[in-house]
Amino acid sequence: MNARRSQLLWFWLFTGPALLGFICFSLWPMLYSLWLSLCQDDVVTPSRFIGLRNYIYLFFYDPAFWQSVKVTLIFTVVQVPLAVGGALAMALMLNEKVRGLGFWRSVYFLPSILPQAAFAVVFGFIFQADGGLLNELLSLGGIKGLAWTTSPEWALPVLIAMSLWAFGYPMVIFLGGLQSVPRELYEASRMDGAGAWARLRHITLPLISPVIFFNLVMGVIGSLKVFDLAYAFSVAQGPNIQPGGPARSTLFYGLNLYQQAFGYFHMGLASAMAWLLFAFIVLITVFNFRFSRRWVHYEN
Amino acid sequence: MSIRFRSVLFWLSAILLAVVGFWWAGHSRKPPPVEGQTEISWYLIITPLRDLYEEQAAAFEKLHPEIKVNIYWVPNSDYNVKLKTLAAAGQLPDLFLCGDVWISYLLPFTRDITDLVLRDAEEIGLDDYFPEIRRAMQLDGKYYIVTEYMNLSLLYYNRRLFREAGVPEPTAEWTWDDLITAGQALTRPATDDDPGVWGSSRVEGWWGEWLIYVRQAGGRAFTPDGRRCLLDSEEAITGLRFYLEKSSKHGFSAPAGFEPLNGFVNERVAMIVGGHVNFWLNYNEMPGLDWDVQLLPKGPVKRAGGEIAMAGYSISSTSEHPEEAWKLAKFLTRPEAVAAIVERGSLSVRRSVAEAVMKKEGPRANPHNLEAAYRQFKYGEPIPHHENFIEIMLQIVQPEVDLMLLGELTPEETGRIAAKKVNEFIATFSPDGPQ
Repeated sequence: MNARRSQLLWFWLFTGPALLGFICFSLWPMLYSLWLSLCQDDVVTPSRFIGLRNYIYLFFYDPAFWQSVKVTLIFTVVQVPLAVGGALAMALMLNEKVRGLGFWRSVYFLPSILPQAAFAVVFGFIFQADGGLLNELLSLGGIKGLAWTTSPEWALPVLIAMSLWAFGYPMVIFLGGLQSVPRELYEASRMDGAGAWARLRHITLPLISPVIFFNLVMGVIGSLKVFDLAYAFSVAQGPNIQPGGPARSTLFYGLNLYQQAFGYFHMGLASAMAWLLFAFIVLITVFNFRFSRRWVHYEN
Repeated sequence: MSIRFRSVLFWLSAILLAVVGFWWAGHSRKPPPVEGQTEISWYLIITPLRDLYEEQAAAFEKLHPEIKVNIYWVPNSDYNVKLKTLAAAGQLPDLFLCGDVWISYLLPFTRDITDLVLRDAEEIGLDDYFPEIRRAMQLDGKYYIVTEYMNLSLLYYNRRLFREAGVPEPTAEWTWDDLITAGQALTRPATDDDPGVWGSSRVEGWWGEWLIYVRQAGGRAFTPDGRRCLLDSEEAITGLRFYLEKSSKHGFSAPAGFEPLNGFVNERVAMIVGGHVNFWLNYNEMPGLDWDVQLLPKGPVKRAGGEIAMAGYSISSTSEHPEEAWKLAKFLTRPEAVAAIVERGSLSVRRSVAEAVMKKEGPRANPHNLEAAYRQFKYGEPIPHHENFIEIMLQIVQPEVDLMLLGELTPEETGRIAAKKVNEFIATFSPDGPQ
């Protein structure tokens, strides 16, 4: 066996399992779901080809589709900057040399370990209209509380507030980025009379801009796929609120897709939704990368 | 063959051996089936009556040593998903809990048991079932479920709260107006020391209550063939309006979103219109909760309109042991088994059991007015057997009803918008294609 054939054998041997896994568990299901998106399929009876009818229904008739797009976009636009900004602020604070730094870092990271479902249940109790902790506290001050979780105006803001609590992962990534900023730059700028704000604006932020960009991209992708938080939130409200309720005010795209797929077994419709989401995420990521050239600075 | 290639072959063989070894070790842990014994699987929703069902399974196995029953408990919220997923994987259980509300949804993999029911009609006591239940057991004249228990919409009320407010208890002659008058008299605003009482709960989030009013006002959700939504009719809108005005005009139900959690159990709600028989067990476990039931108040057009729904057992269409599964289904629905469930707090689907309970002397658990509950049978209406009924009601109609309760839509707009959206859905997803 010559060297080239031997190299080829090793190549296939090492990439083969991963490639096989990708083909069986990613590529094939994706292509199959593309086919399903053109069919009416309820899992148990044979699929029926219906052309683009699923897409037409989603775009023009489905009462939930555009609402779920709207809810998800609002969440993304509000939550991602707050989450990234909050994580950055925490990382900046935890990057300072204070006593018990390790302890504080652990404490602030801790909520990220908790499952989102547990968060949703606990926050559900806090924000409950009748007898909830927040309204009870407000009533002590003579303020009549609101139906936080059961009114369409407040349910989404409550969910956004809930999601901000778990900022541990982006915070840790920011911390890593902050620690790679050369100390000499700060020392030199201090000697030149730069204040804290100037150092942050002209040294820290430009140098960690790739990290900010990474967290932003991951945050956007994550927010477009939110599911567990919204699902657990509705379940925690009891039977009076349907998943995505009240009045579809927390009907995230991912939750809507799940309901179509596993609540009602409209696999064709759910597949169409999944492909639309995929296309949107690709578009938004491409846009992010294009836009990032203006403000992200790489060392090389 | 190069040394490298040999070592690759060696490692591949080692991995293969390890995989086969692990598979064999795992596989061999399963106890071998007893010779001559048939194993059947039985899927159930987790229930407080779990001990009762496990006792039933043990008694059945004792009676039929040739059959081994494997029970699988599934949480309520995952039940239908689990069944459909099992159907897709070709691993359906032999016997599963099914109800007339879901039968259209599960029909593609449910066995038509008409032949078994008619063959063993005498043995199962088909005539012993209330006629309304027997009707609900069938779909297009065919039997798919053998019934074990049921739900019936009733008027539930807290006797202590009625006494304290000096309001006479509900009678069978009550109308919507009486409900309003009593509800208002029972409502007690919250103060610093008193969490207050609402005259009536308002069931939100599903059709449990508002569909009663729609029907009692002469409306209906769909045409009989299920092809068109009728919530935009004048009658349906009257029903929706009453549902809304319980709070917004008459003030005896909590505003949307402020319904007290477990209000009836916590004695913060004096009445429930509709309710669910499954909760009787919970009510009776609450010390001091003195409750009873009455016929639903009459609507402007008719008394009928409350829901009658039943649940029992179905055999999967792919079961390899339908006869054994059928034996278990018969065992679980025999009068003694139904009586055991009724005793824990439920309504009987069998006449003989109902009569025995009512004749029984000595103290009886709540509700006392079982006569009214059984009278309500003839006013109960099953929900339409539309293959997408649950989805349509929860996903399309309910969000509009939610908006109405929040004052963002009028009942007229709610009916009109909901009907339009439902009809678009039916047109797109009807099994016969777009209309």
